[in-house]
Amino acid sequence: MRLLLRMAWRNVWRNKRRSIITIAAVTFAVMLAVVMRGMQLGTYEKNIEQVVRLSSGYLQVQRPGYQENPTLRRSFVYDSTLQRILKSETRINGFSPRIYADALLSKRDNSFGAMLVGIDPENENLVSDFSKRVRRGRFIKPGLRYEVVVGEKLLQNLGVDLGDSVVVLTQGFDGFLRDAFCTIVGVVKTGSSELDRAAVFLPIKAAQDLLGMDGRVSVVAISLYRLSDLEKVKRHLQERLKPLNLKVLTWGEVMPSFKQSIEFDNVGGLLFLAILVVVVAFGILNTMLMAVTERFREFGVVLALGMPQMRLVVLVLYEILMILVIGLAAGNLLGGSVNWYILKHPIYMGKQLEELYSQFGFLPYMWSTLRWQIFLNNSLTILLVALVASAYPLWKVYRLEPLKGIRYT
Amino acid sequence: MLWKIAWRNLWRNKRRSVIILVSVVVGMVAMMLTDALYTGMIRQVLTNQVSLEVGHIQIHRKGFHDNPSIKLLIERPDEVEAVIRQHPEVLHHARRVLTYGILSSSYNSSGVNIVSVEPEAERQITLISKSIVQGRYLKGEAHEVLIGEGLARKLEVSLGDKVVAMASRLDGSIGSDVFRIVGIYRTFDSEHDKVTMYIPLETAQHMLGLGDAVSEFVLMVKDVRQVDAVRDSLRNQLPPIYETLSYRDVLPLLVYQSEAMAQWMMIYYVIIGIALVFGIVNTMLMAVFERMQEIGVLKAIGMPNRKVLAMILLESTILGLLGTVIGIGVGMLIYWPLSHSGLNLSVFSESLASFGVGAVIYPVMDLRILLSAGVSIPIVALVGAIYPAIKAVRFEPVEAMRYI
Amino acid sequence: MEIIRTEKLEKVYQDNSVPVHALKGIDLSISAGEFTVIAGPSGSGKTTLLNLIGALDKPTAGKVYLEGEDLSAKSKGQLANIRLNKIGFIFQAYNLIPVLTALENIEFTMMLRGIPEKERRRRALALMEELGIAELANKRPTEMSGGQQQRVAVARAIVNDPTIVLADEPTANLDSVTGSRLLDLMERMNREHNITFVFSSHDPKVIERGRRLLWLRDGLIEKEDVRDAAPSEG
Repeated sequence: MRLLLRMAWRNVWRNKRRSIITIAAVTFAVMLAVVMRGMQLGTYEKNIEQVVRLSSGYLQVQRPGYQENPTLRRSFVYDSTLQRILKSETRINGFSPRIYADALLSKRDNSFGAMLVGIDPENENLVSDFSKRVRRGRFIKPGLRYEVVVGEKLLQNLGVDLGDSVVVLTQGFDGFLRDAFCTIVGVVKTGSSELDRAAVFLPIKAAQDLLGMDGRVSVVAISLYRLSDLEKVKRHLQERLKPLNLKVLTWGEVMPSFKQSIEFDNVGGLLFLAILVVVVAFGILNTMLMAVTERFREFGVVLALGMPQMRLVVLVLYEILMILVIGLAAGNLLGGSVNWYILKHPIYMGKQLEELYSQFGFLPYMWSTLRWQIFLNNSLTILLVALVASAYPLWKVYRLEPLKGIRYT
Repeated sequence: MLWKIAWRNLWRNKRRSVIILVSVVVGMVAMMLTDALYTGMIRQVLTNQVSLEVGHIQIHRKGFHDNPSIKLLIERPDEVEAVIRQHPEVLHHARRVLTYGILSSSYNSSGVNIVSVEPEAERQITLISKSIVQGRYLKGEAHEVLIGEGLARKLEVSLGDKVVAMASRLDGSIGSDVFRIVGIYRTFDSEHDKVTMYIPLETAQHMLGLGDAVSEFVLMVKDVRQVDAVRDSLRNQLPPIYETLSYRDVLPLLVYQSEAMAQWMMIYYVIIGIALVFGIVNTMLMAVFERMQEIGVLKAIGMPNRKVLAMILLESTILGLLGTVIGIGVGMLIYWPLSHSGLNLSVFSESLASFGVGAVIYPVMDLRILLSAGVSIPIVALVGAIYPAIKAVRFEPVEAMRYI
Repeated sequence: MEIIRTEKLEKVYQDNSVPVHALKGIDLSISAGEFTVIAGPSGSGKTTLLNLIGALDKPTAGKVYLEGEDLSAKSKGQLANIRLNKIGFIFQAYNLIPVLTALENIEFTMMLRGIPEKERRRRALALMEELGIAELANKRPTEMSGGQQQRVAVARAIVNDPTIVLADEPTANLDSVTGSRLLDLMERMNREHNITFVFSSHDPKVIERGRRLLWLRDGLIEKEDVRDAAPSEG
C-alpha cells in the first residue's frame, strides 16, 4: 500500500508544471468560494441581527391569523400563564409585549400618518435597541403616561419639537375613533428611514388605554441569546403555546420579504460558485485525461505484469486525491485568512450605499465569518464535483486492456 | 497559411479540444444567462415602478419629494401645464393629489396613501386601470374608490362596501368622506396593494379644500432615453418654486442597484475567465510538449521564433473564437424561449413582490452581456496560451524528454 | 514436465476493419527448463503467439493450457492473477515503471502479491547481487542505459519464481555486445535455476542461442529444431 502511495505521489510530481497549475486552479476555486460565502453569510448574520433588533425581534408570539391580517381584533391577552411559559425557556434572552396600530399624528394644521408602537420600556430593552437610538430627550417611561417618542423624520415633517403636544388619532378596538393628546419626550434615529418616518413609541399601558384594549397585546417580541437556537426554540415554544391558541413565528415568517431577499442573494451567490466549480472541474477532467492517456503504455506493461485492474484505478485515484487535497488545504487556508482579516476590518461600502441602505436599516459594511460549515461544505462540494469530473479518466483506466495499452500511440 | 496550420493542429487531439470547447461554452452560457436574468429583473423592477406609480417625470412644488406634505401644492396647475404642452417629447401627462390618510371600515382601519387621479389621463400613465380584478376602474364619479387587494383584505371589505377616508385638510382640520368600493385591483407589488387607494381628483380637492391645486404632474415621454434631456428642459422653463424629477431621481436605490449589479457581473466574468485560463494553460502546455520534436524541425528548417509563437497563440485563440461563436449560439437558443415565457421564480414570490416585480422574471440579453462574454473568451484563450507559447519557442530538447 | 500446451490455436484480429489471420492453428508443447525461441520473419505471428501463451490475450479458436489449466475459460481478473504469480515478462522496451527505482521496480510485483516489505527487499537485493546489478538499486530508469534497464527487467521477471518467462524481442533495442551479455544472463538463470525461457525474435544472434527453435511462418509452425549441444559464448 505504501509503495502505491509513493508511486502516486511521484506520479503527481512527474509533471511539476502541470500539477502545480491544476492545484492552483483548485486553490483558486476553493479560496474564492470560502471568501465569497464568508462575506455573504457573515454579512447576512450581522444584518439580520441589526434588523430584528430594530423591528420584529428574533421570534414573535401572535394570534393565528394576525400575520396575514394585523388588526386589533387579532390581539390576545398577555396573561401570567404566557409569561410563565416564556420565562421558563432558558434560551430566551428577553421578551416584550407590543401593540401596533395605524394612526394619524397632528399638530395644529399639519398631520401625518404614523404607526403607533405601544411598548414596555423595561422589557423592550432586552429585545430591541430602540431606546439606544434616542437622539434627544429621553425614552418613554413605563406606566399610564401619555408621552411619546417619535422618529426624527416624523418630527421634522410634522414641524414639532421636544416638549410639544400632538394629537394622536386612531381607530380603537371597538371600531370607534379615539384621540388623545401626547407629549413628545424624545426623538429617535434608528437608521431605518421607514421607522424614523412613522414610528411613535408610547407606553403600552397608554396604548391599551387609548385603544380600549384591556390587558391585550398585538404581539410578544422575543430575543434569543443565539440566533442559531431559532428553530429549536420556535418548535419548543410552539408546542407549549398551542393550547393557548397562540402561534410562534420566526423573524423570517414575520418579515418574509426580508428573509427572501436574503435567500435570493444567497442563491445568487451559490449559483455563481456552481458555475465556477463546473468550469474548474472541466479543467481537472482534461488534465487528468491527458495525464492518463500519455501513460497508457506504462499502464499496459503494469497490467501485463499482472496488476489487478482496480489497483491501477486506485493508483490514479490516489493521484487525483493528492492534487485535490493540496488544493483544498491551500484554498481553505488562504480563504480563511482573508475571512479572518475581513472579520477584523469590515469593508466599508461607500457613502452612496450608506444613504441608500438606511432605508432598510442595513449597515453599509461587509463582514465575514469563520464558521466551520463554510469550509466543510465548500470542500466537500468541490471534492465531489472534481471526483465526478475524474470519473471519465478513471473509467478509461478501468477499461484499459494490457495489450491495447502497450500498443498505444 | 498559419491559420490553416493552427486549425488543423487543434483537431489532432479531438477529445482534448472538445473538452476545452465544452468548458468554455458551459461557462459562457451560464454566465450569459445569469447575467441576462439579473439584468432583466432589475430592469423589470424599474419599469414596474415607472408604470405603477412613478412615471417618467414628476413635477411638484419644491421640497415635496423630501416632505410630501399637503401644504406643498402646485397652486397654479395651468401654468405648469402650459409649459408641459410646449414639449412634444412628452407623450402623456396627468394631475394627481397625493396625501396620507386613514381608511376605515366597520372592522378595521389602516393608514393609506391616497392617490387622487384624473381617471382617463391616469390610464395613459400607469397600469392601474389594467390591474382590476374585481369591479371596475374609476369613472370620475364622486365617492368612488379603488383599493388594492391587500388593503381590502386588511379592512375585511369587498366590492360595494362603504369605507371612510380621513386626511388632513389644507387648513389643518381633518377632512373625511364616505366612499363606495367600485373596484379592487391587484399588481405585482404586494406592498403597494396593501396601502394604496385611488379616488377621483376632484373628490380629493373637495374633501381636502384644495380648490384647483394639485400635488403633482406625472409625465410619460416618447423615448425613455430622452428622459434626462426633457427633464432638464422642463426644469429650465419652469419657475424655481417647482421641482422636476426623473424616475431615476425618484428611485435612486434601484438605479444604484442596476449599476452595481452590472459592476459585480464584470467581476464575475473576470473570475470565470481566470478559472478557464488554468485549464487552457495546461492544455496548451500539453499540446506544445507533445510536439516538441515537430517544433524543433520547424525551427530547423527556418521558421522564425515569432512565427512559432504566433502559431501557438493562434491555435488557442481560434479555439476561443470557436467557443465564443458556439457559446453565443447556444446562449441565444436558450434565451429566446425564456425571454418570451419568462422564468418562474415563485419560490421567492413574496420577496420579489415586495421588490416590485412579479414571480415571473424575463431575462434581457443586453448588448453589454454579449460583448462581455464575446470579447472575454478569446482574450482568455489568448492569455492562457502565452506561457505555453513562450515555452515552445525557448525549449531545450533535453527538458522535453523528461516529461515523457 | 509439460507447462504449456496449445491445441489448434488460432487468432484473428481486425486491422482497420480488415481481418488478419495472425495464427492459423498452432499445436505446441513447452516443458519446464526449456530455453526456446519462437523464430520467424516479421508478421509471422510470433508476438501474437507469445501473448496468447502469456495470458495477455484470448484466442479466436483453439486452447491454451498453462500447467493443465485452460486459459480460455478464465476471466480477465483471473488471467491477471495468473500473470502475476506464474508468468514473467520482458518486453522490447519500456519495461520499467519510470517513477520507481530499479529496486522498487523489482519489488513491485512482490508488493502486488502481498509479500511484506522486509522480505521483498531482501529477495530483491539478493537477486540484484546475483545478477551483478546491485549498484543500480536506487537509480531511476532514466538514469540507466538500455542494457542496464533490460537487466533490471530480467530481475523483475524472475523474482517471483515464475513458471515461465516470456521475452518479446528483448535485445532488439540493444547493440550486439550488450545484447549478447543479456542473453548470457538469461542462459545462466535458465541453467542455474531451471527457469523456463521462451523468446520471440527474428534476430539470428538470439536464434542461435536457443536450444529449441520453433519456426513460424504465416501463422503456422513451419519446422522445429532441437539442439543438444550446450550454448556457446557469443
